[in-house]
Parts: sequence; C-alpha cells; structure tokens
Amino acid sequence: MIVSWNWLTEYVDLAMTHDDLVDRLTMSGLNHEGTDAVDKDHAIDLEVTSNRADCLGHIGVAREIAALYEIPLNLPDPQPVTGSDSISQHCSVVIESEGACERYTARLIRGVKIGPSPQWMQERLKSLGIGIVNNVVDATNYVMFECGQPLHAFDFAKIKDGKIVVREAEPEEIFEAIDHRTYQLAPGMCVIADSGSAVALGGVMGGAESEVSEATVDVLIEAAYFDPLTVRSAARKLKLHSPSSFRFERNVDSDNLDWASRRVCELILESAGGELLDGVIDVGSPPPSRQPVNLRYSQLQRLLGIEIPVDFVAPTLEKLGLVIESSDETSVTAVPPSWRKDLTRDVDLVEEVGRIYGFEKIPDDVNVPMSASYRPKADRVVDKVRNVLTAAGFDEAVTPSLVPQPWSDAFTPWCDSPPLISSQPMLGVLEEYSHNIGTVNLLRRSLVPSLLEVRRINDYRSNANVNLFETAKVYLPSDGQEIPDQPMKLALVSHRDFFAVKGVVEALVKELNPLAVVQVKECDEALLDASQSGELWLGDQRLGWMGSVSESAKKQFGLRADAIVVEVDLGVLEDETQLIACHANQSPFPPVTRDFNFIMDDEVRWASLESTIRSESGPLLESVKYLETFRDEARDGPGKKRVLFSVVFRSNEATLTGAQAEELCNRIITNCTSAHHATLVG
Amino acid sequence: MSIELFIEQLEALAQEADKAFSEAADSDQLDLARVEFLGAKKGRLKSLQKNMGAVPGDQKKTAGMKLNAVKNSIQDAFESAQSRLSSASSDGQRDVKFDATLPGEAFHVGRLHPITQTINELKDIMGRLGFTPAEGPEIEDDYHNFEALNIPRAHPARDPLDNFYLSVAETTSGNDSAMSGNPLLLRSQTSTVQIRVMENTQPPVRIVSLGRVYRPDTADWSHYPMFHQIEGLMVDENVSLADLKTVLKLFASNYLGDEVPVRIRPSFFPFTEPSVEADYYWDGKWVEFGGAGIVDPNVLRAVGYDPEKVSGFAFGLGIERLCMIRHQITDIRYLFTNDTRFLHQF
Repeated sequence: MIVSWNWLTEYVDLAMTHDDLVDRLTMSGLNHEGTDAVDKDHAIDLEVTSNRADCLGHIGVAREIAALYEIPLNLPDPQPVTGSDSISQHCSVVIESEGACERYTARLIRGVKIGPSPQWMQERLKSLGIGIVNNVVDATNYVMFECGQPLHAFDFAKIKDGKIVVREAEPEEIFEAIDHRTYQLAPGMCVIADSGSAVALGGVMGGAESEVSEATVDVLIEAAYFDPLTVRSAARKLKLHSPSSFRFERNVDSDNLDWASRRVCELILESAGGELLDGVIDVGSPPPSRQPVNLRYSQLQRLLGIEIPVDFVAPTLEKLGLVIESSDETSVTAVPPSWRKDLTRDVDLVEEVGRIYGFEKIPDDVNVPMSASYRPKADRVVDKVRNVLTAAGFDEAVTPSLVPQPWSDAFTPWCDSPPLISSQPMLGVLEEYSHNIGTVNLLRRSLVPSLLEVRRINDYRSNANVNLFETAKVYLPSDGQEIPDQPMKLALVSHRDFFAVKGVVEALVKELNPLAVVQVKECDEALLDASQSGELWLGDQRLGWMGSVSESAKKQFGLRADAIVVEVDLGVLEDETQLIACHANQSPFPPVTRDFNFIMDDEVRWASLESTIRSESGPLLESVKYLETFRDEARDGPGKKRVLFSVVFRSNEATLTGAQAEELCNRIITNCTSAHHATLVG
Repeated sequence: MSIELFIEQLEALAQEADKAFSEAADSDQLDLARVEFLGAKKGRLKSLQKNMGAVPGDQKKTAGMKLNAVKNSIQDAFESAQSRLSSASSDGQRDVKFDATLPGEAFHVGRLHPITQTINELKDIMGRLGFTPAEGPEIEDDYHNFEALNIPRAHPARDPLDNFYLSVAETTSGNDSAMSGNPLLLRSQTSTVQIRVMENTQPPVRIVSLGRVYRPDTADWSHYPMFHQIEGLMVDENVSLADLKTVLKLFASNYLGDEVPVRIRPSFFPFTEPSVEADYYWDGKWVEFGGAGIVDPNVLRAVGYDPEKVSGFAFGLGIERLCMIRHQITDIRYLFTNDTRFLHQF
C-alpha cells in the first residue's frame, strides 16, 4: 500500500520526520519498503499484512500514527445535500447470491457534468501512481484509497430498467470489462447485472458498457461487501486483479459502506455538480454487532515478557478504535471496531497493546531455562552415512521430489502401487534437454532416476568422475493408510565399476555395524544389467538394490558411459546400526595364513564357496579373504575358473601347531571338493 | 664346463659387481651397474646362469647352491650401495630430479550439499540451545498442514492452486483426495511437525524440525517449487516474546559468528499471536531472518494443551535464503541442478 505524506496530513498532524515515522510504522507492523519523492510529496510504500485490510486506506494508516504518537485523528464527516426525489422511485437492487454479496448499497446522482477532477485530488492520486480519468471515477478511487472501501460508479442510463441484480454468473457468460477485454465467466463468480446482462464483475471490475463517460449524466454509486473467497477465486481464474479485488479479498468493513458512499457522493457533487437523490438502497444484512473482549493485564506480562503500565492499556485500545466497556484493576473489557475483524480474543489485544508500546522494549537477554537436547538415532546414522560417502569421494546432490512419468516408471523396486499424482506440476525444474520428457507431477518412488538425470547433466557439461549420492524420502502409497509411507532412502550413482561401488556400500555398512555383512541375491530389474546387479540384504532384512545401468536404460537417460547405481533403505541401516561398539579381546598368538587355489565351475558363487569354507572351521578361523579369479581354458577346460583365496587361522588360547592348521586346511579342501566339485591346484 | 670353472666365473663376477656398486658415486651410476650385473634380461649374472646347463649332471646341485649364494651377495652389495647413496643425499646433497613441488596424487573428498551444510549448522546451534530435532511426514493431510495450525478454509494459503494436493494414479474420479474431507498434500511448511510432536508429547516441548517443503511457484532465480525450512518450537509455562527474542539473538549471533542485534516487529501468521518478523543487523542494515511469534491459543487447543497453563513460541526460517546469502549464491536453481563444479565449491 502506497500512502502519500501530504494526504495523511489531512487526518493527522505529521510533526515528526519522515524517517522517524517510517521507523515507527515498521516497528508497529507496517513494514516500510521504500519511499519515492513525487513532486512535493513522499510516496511511502508500506507492507500491509493480510489481516489488516483497514490499513489499505489512508485513514487506517493515519489511525495507526495517531495511536503511536498519541495525537488526535481528524476524520471527515460527509453529509451530502440531497434532493427531494427518492432513489427508490428510480432504482432497485436484488441480491440473488447472498453468499457472494452480503450487503449492497446504492446512491444515485443525477445531472452530473463530467470533467476533470480537482487539482488537489489529481495530485494525491498521482502520488500513489493512480491514473487520472474524470471527476466521477477519480472520486471513487480517491475514497477507496482514503478508507479502503472499493466503490463503483455506473452510467445509470446504461442500467436497463434501473434494476440491479447481484447474481451468480451463468455458464460461459461473456463479459467485457473496463479494460476492454472480454472474459468468459463461470458459475461461482458473482456478477452485477441489470435486467438483461452483466454490467460488472462483483468486487473485481466494472463493465465497459456501463462505464462512466463524457456522455454520462446520471451516476449510480455502488458500495458493497463482496465475499473474499468469491472475489479471490474469480480474480484468480480470470487473471484479473484490481485494487478493488485486492481489498475485497482481505475483507472490507461492511459497517463503513454508508460512510464511503456518502463520502464519494459529497466529492462528486463538489466537482461534477448534479443532484443526489434522497435515500439509499441498502439490501442484504449489516454485519453482526461486535462482541466485547476481556483483556487481563496479567496476560501482557505472561505473553510479551515485559511489564506494561496499566494506564497505557485502555487509552491505546481507544486510540485504535475500540470502545471501552469497563475496566478494573485486573482487566479491561472493550468492543473492537467494525474495521478490525482480526480482534476477537484477549491474545489479539495483547498484540495490539504490545506493538503500540513497542516490541523493541522487549529484552533479548532473559534467562531461558536450560534443557538438554539429544540427537535422534536416525540423525546420527545419516551423519555417519554422509561421512563415509564423502570420504569415499561421493558428492551430495539434492533433487526435486516430483518426477515425470518415464522416470517414475523406470525403477520401482520398493512399491507395486502406482505413484501419487500432484494436482499441480512442478514448473521450471527440468533442464532444457529434458523438457519433453513429461509433466513433473508424480511423487517419486525411487531416487535413482533423478540421480541418473544429474549424471547426464554432468556428463553433458564434461564434468569427469561424477560420483553422487542423495538421501531423501520416497513416497510409497498403499491401501488403507491415512498417510502414505515415506521412508528415507539413500541412492548412489557412480562412474566407478561394480566392485568399487560395492566396496563403498560394504564400508558404509561396516561403519554402522562392524559385524554386519552385506549379502547379494539375484534380481530382475529392467533398469539394471542382468548380470551386474543384485538385491542387497542384511540378515533377513532387504537393504536395497545395486547394479550397472542396463544398455536400454542408459539410452533412456541419455547416458554416454556406464553407471553404477545403488539404492538402499536408511531405515534398515538404522535398525542395523550399532552406535556403541563392543570390544573383544585380541589374541596374543600369531596367525597362520594359508592360500588356496581351486578350480571349479563358473556357476559357483563366491558367497556359497565362502560359506562352505566357514561351515566347519569353527572359532579358529579368523578371516577368509578373496584374492582373485582367473580362467585358463587351455588347461582347465571350458566353463571353469580358478579362485584364489587366503584363510587366516588363529587361536585365543595358544599358538596353533602345524598339525592343527593342516587339519583345518584339509577340512576346507574336503568340503569345497564335495560341495562344489572344486579341485585344489598344486 | 667343469664346476670349478663355473664357480670361478661366479666369484669373479661377484668381485666385479661389488667393486662397481661400491664405487658408484650417485644413483644414476648405481643404476647402470645394477642393469649390468642384475639386469633381468641381459644382466651378466643372467648370462652366466646359462652356463650352468653345461655343468655335469651330478654337480648341478652344488652349482645351483653356489649360484644362489653369489646372487644373494651381489644383491646385498647393491642394496648396501643403495642405502649408502640415499643416506648421503639425506645428509644434505639434494637430488634435483626429485621435484617435491609436483602435485600429490589426486584424492577427492566428497562435498556435502550446501543446503545440508546449512541445515547441519543450524541444527547444531539449536541443539546447543536445547532444541531436539524432530521429523515429520512430507505428505501431510489438510488437518495438520492447515486446520490445526488455525488456517481457516477461506485462507489464501489453502488455495488448491497454491498447493501440491495429491491423488492416486488409478482413480478416475470421485476418490480424488483433494475432494475428500481431509485431502493429502505435500506439506507447505514445517510447522506441521509442531502439531505432530505436540499431539504426542506433553509440555515442556523444545524441538527443531527441518526439511523439504513445497509450494507450486515456477522455478526462477529466486523461487523453486521445493525448498527447505527450519522451525523451532518451545512450549512451557510462561514462555514469552522475551524468550523468543533471547533465543533468536543467541541463534543469529551463533550463526553469524559475532554478537548481532536482533529486532522483532509485528507481522501476521495464523498460527501465532502475536506474530512477528525477526531481523538481524548485519553489514549496516537489517536483514530479514524469518517469521515467529507466540503459538496461537487455537493451535494449543487443537493439540489438547491448555493455553491458560502453557504458552510457547515458534519460529521458521527459509534455509535456501540463509544458504544463498552466506555463500553468495545468485540463483536458487544452482542448488538443485547439482553440477559437480558447483558442489565442489562448498
């Protein structure tokens, strides 16, 4: 809201400096956004919060100033002279849609002479940046910026049968507004019609047809209360926002309609002449009378944290327009004014008294009691995860939670249900390359596709060695839940090879639980390569998936090189996490290390070989270490491989003897031979 | 060849090698000598080894043992020369061929996203002030996102065009969640976590919640339809604006690393009364910090607290803005494009 310094002086004596004024207004709730010098005036831009429609006019701002500086507020008392002819003889108003229009008043002035508005009025409107039209239209604008009540003047000759009907728009009703553009209306919008068609879009804009022009002789003045929600949705649907709709959306003062109507008539009579008909048409219902609010003084100290002198309270409320009903040593009871619909409870009055007294007087060094906070396990686990991954050279990415359909469908291992759809798409979040992929309106069920897009972007920008991770929620709808599952996942995308990335995952798991072992099972995910992929398990909990991106998926995501992706469930990791590790005694005796080299079929998996090795070795086996695999078809025949591994034995009680070690080795050889048809080399 | 001759040749070679190694004046000369005697292909020891084939069969074992002994002694002589030369260089002689200014082997430590770094810092500060992190769902219902926060149905914030309301894919009509009494949406603010925590906890409460929030703004340099908020809540007996101002001042001073003035000025939010905007004074001007206020009694009642017995304050800050100001990031979209050249800067 822009206010003019000169205009304000009509209501309050501005003895303070400009800077002092805008500081105090800022500190009492009208944030100063800037001031422009306009001719001999200051155009002061104040931010008005949505609860303070009263400050969308100069009088409201002047009232604030009067309360802050404890100075008088002088308001006009319009008493326009009326003729003897009664308006009811010439005009009628019917409200058909009461929900959209609570109250409608009309006055009629006959015989006006359209011309320029007075110089002083033009100057004030220009200070606000408002265009000058003529003495009637300018007067309606002037009163709107004076008191916050939008008004409209119709050329009465264009109102068919002198009949005003406030009704809902008909389907596809066509309306040409003052901006000379044509709008297609819809039910739910409120129109002002005559006995034929719409002459105004209620609370939003007047019609071109009934606009006041140089030929206008009689003007009908509308001052009405339109429902905020109806006005907002119409303005929004039609993308037609006006100073009028802005005010109706924020709830105008229905009690002030008559004052505003009289005020504008007075100004029009002054500058355009004519005769105001006797009486006013006032249909609909006046606002209910306001209920008194009781404010206990103790609430001030309790909620503001400062002591405010009791004798400050009632006068301040009065300055703001409240009417004091009663007061005693402990409390005051006051009736809020019609223009302050935001004041209904004691806490609302606490704010009023506090802000006028000054929030700057509230101390910033009180004793807040100490309290110990703790870090939830999930937080600590995520921190450890991030530490391991950054140590492993992975950078963290943050990507949008909504994805287009092809990405949504590309990888859905966690969930069979279709994704949740958002009513609104995310706009502007896709790179140009990906613009045609689809509307970004699906809640993602995996982080992997988003990371593949990030990988693609980096590849296209020639950024080498892209290793990224993200931790975020995925959204997994399922039947019968009030709020869908939103588990936290961790996803990785990497330039490195399968085992390099698997090593990172294993290191991560070890960091969280030194005893946990990642197992891999076969999986069947179209996004992943058929062989270089697997389902990851920790004990009997499924941890997630990893694999090399398949050729077709690489094509889909525009990748030029191989990529390994991983997605794991942070909840499972959290379950497995051992935040406090336990010590086991280290054996003081030397280890015995033995290397093995077996020939076996390609089908034998290392996991199953290792479990055979461990199966009968007992507590003396300290570790099994895989060394390498190689193939020599000439010597071993087709479909065969040689697997080298090393086993360390150690006892906690004594140095192992050669015979003990040999027995353990023989057991391994026997078991491997029988379980896997493996042949020991050498 | 007789074994005697073979041994003689070996011993001569050992002597020659010993001499060459001990006379080598620097590592280059030593290396030449090493190639001459111990070279894997054309070294003299290697060629001498071939003569062993001519030694009579029954003496081969003796010859082999002698060969190994000589091999070891030449190796030892080389190593002792090597250590002589290296200790000589550490005694003050610089080897110009060693360029210590060459770069080390590249070792990339991954970077945490600047948003995460900001969040971690804010969470740490709030933790020191006694606020425990709390989590809540990002998919919320209307009740927790609006109703319980005292945001009436007619409030502009609830406009369907300004929120990501949700429905399930297969539904064709009728079952649209936006149509039902308590539709689901992506939360538009982290204040929802306040409600969920208070519903399940009795006062005193001191929490901080952080996370993603969603509003359908078209992405541009200063807007993104997804962003992050931090929200603090403290409820106890007699919590006032003075407590809020004190905590905000500690918070801002801690974050900025210097004692900064903080001011609060009246504002409007449905879930607080009084509502304030907090600013901190930095670089000669007031900078917007975030919104705050005393928890509205309607909110306390909605979670079953008695507003006559307890009061509380809440505040919320936008993470992106703090992060962008601190790191001088000029376009919010950089944060979500994840170009590694961007990420590596933080």
